[in-house]
Amino acid sequence: MKSFQPRIVGFLCNWCSYAASDAAGGKKQPYPANFRVVRVMCSGRIEPQLVLKAFAEGADGVAILGCHPGDCHYKEGNYKALRRFAALKRMLDQLGIEEGRLILEWVSAAEGDKFIEVVRTLCDKVKALGPLHVARVAQDREPRRNRL
Amino acid sequence: MKPKVAFYWCSSCGGCEEAIIDLNEDILKVVEAVDIVFWPVAMDTKYADVERLADGELAVAFINGAVRMDEQEEIAKLLRRKAQVVIAVGSCAHMGGIPGLANFFDRESILRRAYQEVPSLADAQPVTPSETTRTEHGTLTLPRFWERVKRLGDVIDVDYFLPGCPPMPDTIRDALAALLSGKLPPKGSVLSPSKNLCHGCPRLPNKPETLAIDRIRRIHEVEVGPDECFLAKGVICIGPATRSGCGERCLHANMPCRGCYGPSDDKSDQGGALLSSLASMIDMKDADKIDSLFKSFADIPGTVYRFSLPASLVQKGNLLP
Amino acid sequence: MKPKIGVFVCECGPNIGERLDVPELVKFAQGLDGVGFARSHRLPCCSDGKKEMVEDIKAQQLTHVVVAGCSPRDHEATFMEVCREAGLNPHLFQMVNIREHCAWVIPDRQEATEKAKALVRAGVRRVVLHEALEDRTIDCVSDVMVVGAGPAGMEAALVLAHKGRHVTLLEKSPVIGGHAVRYEDLFPAMECAACMLEPKMEEVLHRHNITLLTCAEVEDVVGFFGNFTVKVRRHARRVDPAACIWCEECSKACPVSVPNEFHEGLAPRKAIYLPYPGALPNIAAIDYPNCLRSGGQDCHACADVCPFAAIHYDETDVVTDVHVGSVVLAVGFDLFDCRQIPNLGYGRIAEVYNNLEFERLLSVTGPSEGKLVMKNGQTPRSVAFVHCVGSRTPRFAPYCSGLCCMDAFKFSHLARKKASKDIQCFDIYRDLVAAGKGYHGLLDEQLAEGTEFIRTRDPNQVTVEAANGGCQLTIPQEGGSRKLSVDMVVLAAAVRPSADAAKLAQLFGVSIDADGFFSEEHGRLAPVSTTIGGVFIAGCAQGPKDVQASVAQADAAAGKILGTLLQGEKLPLPAITAHADAELCGGCKTCLSLCPYKAIHYVETEKRAEVNEALCKGCGTCAAACPTNAMQSRQFTRDQLFAEIEGLLS
Repeated sequence: MKSFQPRIVGFLCNWCSYAASDAAGGKKQPYPANFRVVRVMCSGRIEPQLVLKAFAEGADGVAILGCHPGDCHYKEGNYKALRRFAALKRMLDQLGIEEGRLILEWVSAAEGDKFIEVVRTLCDKVKALGPLHVARVAQDREPRRNRL
Repeated sequence: MKPKVAFYWCSSCGGCEEAIIDLNEDILKVVEAVDIVFWPVAMDTKYADVERLADGELAVAFINGAVRMDEQEEIAKLLRRKAQVVIAVGSCAHMGGIPGLANFFDRESILRRAYQEVPSLADAQPVTPSETTRTEHGTLTLPRFWERVKRLGDVIDVDYFLPGCPPMPDTIRDALAALLSGKLPPKGSVLSPSKNLCHGCPRLPNKPETLAIDRIRRIHEVEVGPDECFLAKGVICIGPATRSGCGERCLHANMPCRGCYGPSDDKSDQGGALLSSLASMIDMKDADKIDSLFKSFADIPGTVYRFSLPASLVQKGNLLP
Repeated sequence: MKPKIGVFVCECGPNIGERLDVPELVKFAQGLDGVGFARSHRLPCCSDGKKEMVEDIKAQQLTHVVVAGCSPRDHEATFMEVCREAGLNPHLFQMVNIREHCAWVIPDRQEATEKAKALVRAGVRRVVLHEALEDRTIDCVSDVMVVGAGPAGMEAALVLAHKGRHVTLLEKSPVIGGHAVRYEDLFPAMECAACMLEPKMEEVLHRHNITLLTCAEVEDVVGFFGNFTVKVRRHARRVDPAACIWCEECSKACPVSVPNEFHEGLAPRKAIYLPYPGALPNIAAIDYPNCLRSGGQDCHACADVCPFAAIHYDETDVVTDVHVGSVVLAVGFDLFDCRQIPNLGYGRIAEVYNNLEFERLLSVTGPSEGKLVMKNGQTPRSVAFVHCVGSRTPRFAPYCSGLCCMDAFKFSHLARKKASKDIQCFDIYRDLVAAGKGYHGLLDEQLAEGTEFIRTRDPNQVTVEAANGGCQLTIPQEGGSRKLSVDMVVLAAAVRPSADAAKLAQLFGVSIDADGFFSEEHGRLAPVSTTIGGVFIAGCAQGPKDVQASVAQADAAAGKILGTLLQGEKLPLPAITAHADAELCGGCKTCLSLCPYKAIHYVETEKRAEVNEALCKGCGTCAAACPTNAMQSRQFTRDQLFAEIEGLLS
């Protein structure tokens, strides 16, 4: 039986974390293929609806990677991402979604190695947690009678 | 010949029916203009009266309530066949409404709670109703309870939505006027203005640009004056993520908006939208303080998806407990 | 029109071609909804490759293009140009990264191909929702305003003026040159400050396209990059610059004497005065608050003696609007007030001075004409320089100003020249900073000349008491303390932001950093820009620095202006901006506090937000916060990102 391969979506900001992912690529160091990237200009563009959409479409884990506090190319976009992430994390908590499926990390353009480590750690964690989308609710059966 | 219309209620509290009555004198104009052939709450009409109609013979079918049972789904589908236009009336039909909150649980636990575990149960031996019961006089049946609450749009194509819990008289009046004049927006539209509630809220002039709050408060925990913005005091108001058209009655009555008209953009996830607005306005940089603030917000999903859970991304992705 | 998407899969030589199944990827792309053409290419970014792509786009009449290859950070711009050349709007393009994100990091060929498919599918779903964004421009003014006529301000003004810009140079005080012109020599080469700055000052005074406004301040600012309107108040000098030749007669006649701030209070001046000998412009000015006439008295002593009738008591302030496209803020610094550390004796003990006072004593334009004399009239035989006063402590300035050590070495050098070569010099220090070009030589000289260096954990803990007409210092040492008796103590105090910085920051909308200096746009990559488009900073206003660095920043700011605000041309607006739909916006104010560039303003009468796209940098944070669909981040809309996410996961 093929082991569970999680699907992870990463939201990466153009100036720091995406650059780090390119640097990691340049080093040709392998990392899990489960990680799929959506590029945005700033982690400040990331909002709860985007993360929820990723989970809703089948992601088992989501990463938001931005610039270190104080280094944001647009001054403070990463702080805004941090606040929105905190709100969403708390809601996901209350929905019973396990800690560790949604992460926020700061990765600078020079930290290609850190990027790989973050991806590996997240993939391992989500793999251990298992698929997010289990059949939680039994399926509806057909209507008892068709009166017409 | 007057156009034929039908009214039906699915999983409903009756408030949307009352909203029609709330048209007061204008209801007479409606009654004069149309021929109501089916309205279970107000008239002694039968399903057979609908079955008897030709497909498309009904000009409009107004359906309120969420779809929780197989009977509701059947009749919704029946009315869809018989009507040219189907209008979903109220939050329940539009987004699932309050009944939609049941989707935090499954059918099994709901029935068990209601019929076996609830503290107010008087029966020594609690009985859960069954779909079929044989009696000496014949077999009695009850509709089947679906596993989850659905929106009307989940089971049939809906032409227009009248939002609100219930839709306010002005919303209904404007919609009926548009219907009768034939000047309708594109199919699938929500018949209410797109701007969010803040636009008409009397407290908007005093809404600050940032929220200097360190915790979320419930309505009874803090005094909020008639001109003060609830969010500025830490009380959750869904206004920013809610479509306008209701006249901001709750705000005038010193209660925060609960979001019953749904999100301004019908495709949005209302809860995600509100969370983003709220988090963005809080002026904090310390990760611990931010966490602490959101930890003080009890029941986030129930609050931000109060009327819209079945319409949410959380529902779509089955991200429910 | 039905979309016809073209997908070009780059093999990047062997980089992609040998590591994933390109033909399979092309076939997959061909089968996606909306794709009407798909092919691979060995190296589309080379000139032949680009030509071929242009031909393909035209021949196939493609409506959208996706290139799957290297990172968009490498070649997105390249292929957008290709689209433009082929007559296709360059924004109807998406770059998909299958090299850095696939081929190079997934060893298993099949896995790499599968991931590439998902990425291509995401790109295809997204691109069809792209808008054909147009290049836009706005009218702008290419004139510039520089606030502050010290070394940095003058340099910026000259660089700009040499390139034909009209520069309005504002100076708050009656004379130009900033602090530096009032020093005797500048370290490390001990060059005469006034001599060095003189040519620049002359040019600033006389150049036809520099309008120098002295006694002038900024009162209000409206507008944005390319179109600022700055309200300037010129305080009445009450002396006609065209008539005055500074013969000094007015000053001799004036009955009012006040401490001269240009001599750091060490000597007096009159209410009608020239700040110091050689000051430019050499025109008298009336210090009206101290003039008897401001109290209602009808004193006219100065007007009576003026041979040229240059004095006009009735002159009033003049307020004008100046239209400029860009502004440079170069308002310099203030010195830390040493009275805040009472144990050091400043303000209490006569012969304790701060470094600006000592500079004036050494300067030939100063109160003692460059003779190093103490308040008691005597030449000092010993001087103690206390480093780090008010610096490197969370109580005052938590940073190192980088100049004060060099000042101390300079002072020792000049003290030996001006007083006596046998003068005893003591440096009470915590650490020594001599990092600039040529700096260390001056430190070496001190060591060679016999300056005694006394190290202490924190010079701010030194106590100074008056003793025998001079000073006695108690310097904490390991296990005890050392007592030192000297004639004079000079406190090398921290460089602090100018007192005007906060008000100017508020007027222009620029941020202030934690220490009170103007905040640069990015510490490493944009040190002279601010987050307010068109407003630049230079010199000590941005942070403590020496004259060389100030001039460098002034050149940088001028260069940035010359490069972005082009004479005779309109300002191009970036395509990726945010936009608030006037019909949809309900005015909930969520976005207003979020923009670091102050690009969003609230239209009070219509209760809605509006974006000034000339200032927007396209970060998207306002769109992320918007709880409706009103605020959209072009090219990164919710729908586009949703489509991309669907493509990645379906």
